[in-house]
Amino acid sequence: MTAGQQTVDEETTPARGWGLNTWDSPWLNFKFLLGVAIVGLILLFGLLGPLFWDTDLAYTGAGPLNKPPVWQEGGLPEHPLGTESNGRDMLAQLILATPSSLKVGFLAAIIGMGIGMVLGSVAGYVGGWWDHVIRTLSDSAVTIPALVVLVVIASYVQMTDTTAMALILAAFAWPGPTRLVRSQILTLRERSYVRMAHLSGAPALEIMFVEMLPNMLPWLAASLTGGISVAILSATGLEVLGLGPTRVPSLGLIINQATTNAALVRGLVWWWLPPIIILMVIFVGFFLMTIGLDEIANPRIRQFSSTRRERTAAGEMPPVEHVDDRAEGGKDDSLAVDDLHVHYFTPRGEIIAANGVNFSVRKGEILGLVGESGCGKTTVAMAILQVVQPPGRIVQGAVRIEDQDLVSLSGKALREVRWRDLALVPQGAMNSLNPVTPIREQMGDAILAHENVGRMELEARILGLLNDVGLPERVIDMYPHELSGGMKQRVCIAMAIALNPQVIIADEPTSALDVVVQRVVAQTLLEVKERLGVSMVMIGHDMGLQAQLVDRIAVMYAGNLVEVAPVESAFAEPLHPYTQLLIESIPSIKERKPLNVTEGLTHDLRNPPPGCIFQFRCKHVEQICRERRPELVEREDDHLVACWLYEPERHSLIELDEA
Amino acid sequence: MRGLTKEYVLQRFLMYLLTIWLGSTLIFVIPRLAPGDPVSAMVGRLSLDAGYIENADELIASWKARFGLDAPIHVQYFRYWGNVFRLNFGYSLSHFPTEAWTMVRGALPWSLGLLTVATVLSFSIGVTIGSLMGWRRTPRWLQLILPSSLTFTAIPYFMFGIMLIYLVAFELDWLPATGAYSRRVDPGWNLPFIKNVLTHAILPVVSIVLTSMGGWALGMRGLMISVNNEDYFLLAQVKGLSPSRIFFRYGVRNAILPALTALALGLGGLISGSILVEFIFAYPGTGYTLYQAIISQDYTVTQAIANLIILVTATSVFLLDLLYPFIDPRITYKRDMR
Repeated sequence: MTAGQQTVDEETTPARGWGLNTWDSPWLNFKFLLGVAIVGLILLFGLLGPLFWDTDLAYTGAGPLNKPPVWQEGGLPEHPLGTESNGRDMLAQLILATPSSLKVGFLAAIIGMGIGMVLGSVAGYVGGWWDHVIRTLSDSAVTIPALVVLVVIASYVQMTDTTAMALILAAFAWPGPTRLVRSQILTLRERSYVRMAHLSGAPALEIMFVEMLPNMLPWLAASLTGGISVAILSATGLEVLGLGPTRVPSLGLIINQATTNAALVRGLVWWWLPPIIILMVIFVGFFLMTIGLDEIANPRIRQFSSTRRERTAAGEMPPVEHVDDRAEGGKDDSLAVDDLHVHYFTPRGEIIAANGVNFSVRKGEILGLVGESGCGKTTVAMAILQVVQPPGRIVQGAVRIEDQDLVSLSGKALREVRWRDLALVPQGAMNSLNPVTPIREQMGDAILAHENVGRMELEARILGLLNDVGLPERVIDMYPHELSGGMKQRVCIAMAIALNPQVIIADEPTSALDVVVQRVVAQTLLEVKERLGVSMVMIGHDMGLQAQLVDRIAVMYAGNLVEVAPVESAFAEPLHPYTQLLIESIPSIKERKPLNVTEGLTHDLRNPPPGCIFQFRCKHVEQICRERRPELVEREDDHLVACWLYEPERHSLIELDEA
Repeated sequence: MRGLTKEYVLQRFLMYLLTIWLGSTLIFVIPRLAPGDPVSAMVGRLSLDAGYIENADELIASWKARFGLDAPIHVQYFRYWGNVFRLNFGYSLSHFPTEAWTMVRGALPWSLGLLTVATVLSFSIGVTIGSLMGWRRTPRWLQLILPSSLTFTAIPYFMFGIMLIYLVAFELDWLPATGAYSRRVDPGWNLPFIKNVLTHAILPVVSIVLTSMGGWALGMRGLMISVNNEDYFLLAQVKGLSPSRIFFRYGVRNAILPALTALALGLGGLISGSILVEFIFAYPGTGYTLYQAIISQDYTVTQAIANLIILVTATSVFLLDLLYPFIDPRITYKRDMR
């Protein structure tokens, strides 16, 4: 991945329509464009060649025998690339052979793609019996060694021209595209934007061409370029074996004639090497196109390459600025987060996901961290656990457990602290367990990474833990796919308490579960906490659930903490306008009221405004809010808020500024 | 619940039979769909080479009777299947007293040996490279070196083979260019012979491995990158597991599953490519025998080898399918396995 790639990885944004005309288009992939250029040049050589060179020289007896190219001794200027044993001019042969080799590939692959698109759409759209038949046929056809069958066919059927050969090759080019189109349609059909189009009554063909095809295009194109190179390869293979059309010049036929005339032993390099070089350049071109298209189609690969590039561009990650001597946190804090800054380094600028977050969790307490999606609460959790994913990075701050700053640890030291002192109950329990290993192994390896335990004792401990979260013993030998969502989440809780950690981060532990199971999981978490006296950070956006579970609550907005308070006073008397909004939005049976959503959206996180972070949505906004950022200050007993409303001196402060 | 269920084995076995049926039927049908018939085409080919053949029509009629091509097509088809099942393909036309099947059997071990070694090597090297390329914790210097292993990916095996022969065998004279062993050694289980066989196998194996491993590496890299973003991969890090355990048990273990499917699907292509490699290296396996049968118009041997290669490919795919449920416990639950 080098220059020429100006893409941003917003993988959730679906392509709609064909907008290929923007400079941001992912089609501006360097590898893809290079491949197109290479194949284009080869094509030009074949198409324009006859205008500059007499192609009649490509036939027997047109010149002297076995002459080397012009730059070697004995070479003749009228045969710049030399001649072979029948006196045919090499340059003329290559000019005639190149387009015919390309033509076979394009023709066969395009016909195969056409068949594949029809069959694949029928299988994916119509489904049922049709799907079954088409899938079974293409699955087994794709494993047949095509060249073997082709060789047999070619030995019976005389292929007079390249079109006949392309038609026969197409018979083997359809299974790949069929499988691809079918699976793409099945995937895309479930996407919400396609469902929306269905619901809005758009005709099937329109959905196909406007909603689906643009999203499938990179995949189809990759399949086409791959198919073209396979077809050229098969055709060349047949020609090399002498089974292609013998009267039309082709690159494979030149190689066949060279090898059967012992050109290798006789040292007639100029006979066999040029067609191989042209073929290799063609294959490299198509290969570059294919992997370029893969990157276009799969944003994750793009992202992986680009983050690596950015990391390299920025040099090694600079050491995090240390904020020491802030040991003001009380002795009974089990986790302290100090002035935490996390930035995401995207091609369009730095996104500030956590901006000086400060809080601590007391021993045996549950701290709730709430805020709307995208406010940075999960980023804070990941930063505490030291697993911020690139392109994100902790740029400043400290995360302390027992006077140890996790941000400054790495390697073995960090591994030792992990899970022993700091465990996680993950957000998506559905995908948080390794699908291919039994529960025994996944719980076991967490324990074995930190303690030396015998096999019998390990089993006893795992069974005990499962029992603690109310799961039957047989779960130990089950695989994740055999468990329900709630059971998986309880396995995760059992795993989190395996080493009796100081702190457990619970990242929306109930979000993907239905309401009844939510209760059970929340209850399990509470019981575990009561029994072990563990501290927890409970991340979530469900204010109702938070109200019942947590001791203190921390409200986050756009990367900043705006209020930290004991849960009773936060709900009884929320100070920050944003907290008030959150609490108002809790639905109530007794009193139905319209949802009070303030106008305006969160500001662009890349470019936070001066002044208060909430100013665009706040109905109490004043002059000072637009100019100076309020700090998180204790306004009542243990109740901290970052808002100018509670600063009696705010008017004089602003006059002070102006003076 | 886990491992092989009766339903799964049955389903895979039916696929296995279907593949063989499809391949063999193609070999039977397509030549007959083509304008003219196989014998006329063969005679036509002969007359092209020889210029003119006396009594061409009588020749065609007698050959047709000889091969039973004058019978109705469905009778021919049933007869064909009877022969395929009994592995009875008749006598070789070019080496008359020898049966076609005997010739094929002699060639098979060479191909199987060459291909097994080449496939295992290219798959395991490719998967290793790809896994490392798709892992965030791979050391930087390795990340910079690894892509160079993809250099030969785009080049077809046999072209690379031709260049290897020219450079290594003729110009440098380091390794033998063609054949499976030299005439001067006695075939048998003796050390000089084995050594000789191995030196002859190096160039064909290298040309297959170097050109095909990049494909596995690229696929595996993409799969590994996807696994990198999975929640279980993140949880494994948070659990404080050692990097090697995360890499193998959580990364490679999951990413390799689709790669194994791709291996099963790619075997056909791999075997196809080996025909050309054997041709270039004059390696006496099935591919080379097939080529010789074709140039000597040996219709029976051609058919025998084509059917055999289809059978071997389908069997390998079937065996891989049977192995799969032991590696992926979810398989019997997934309706779309591929």
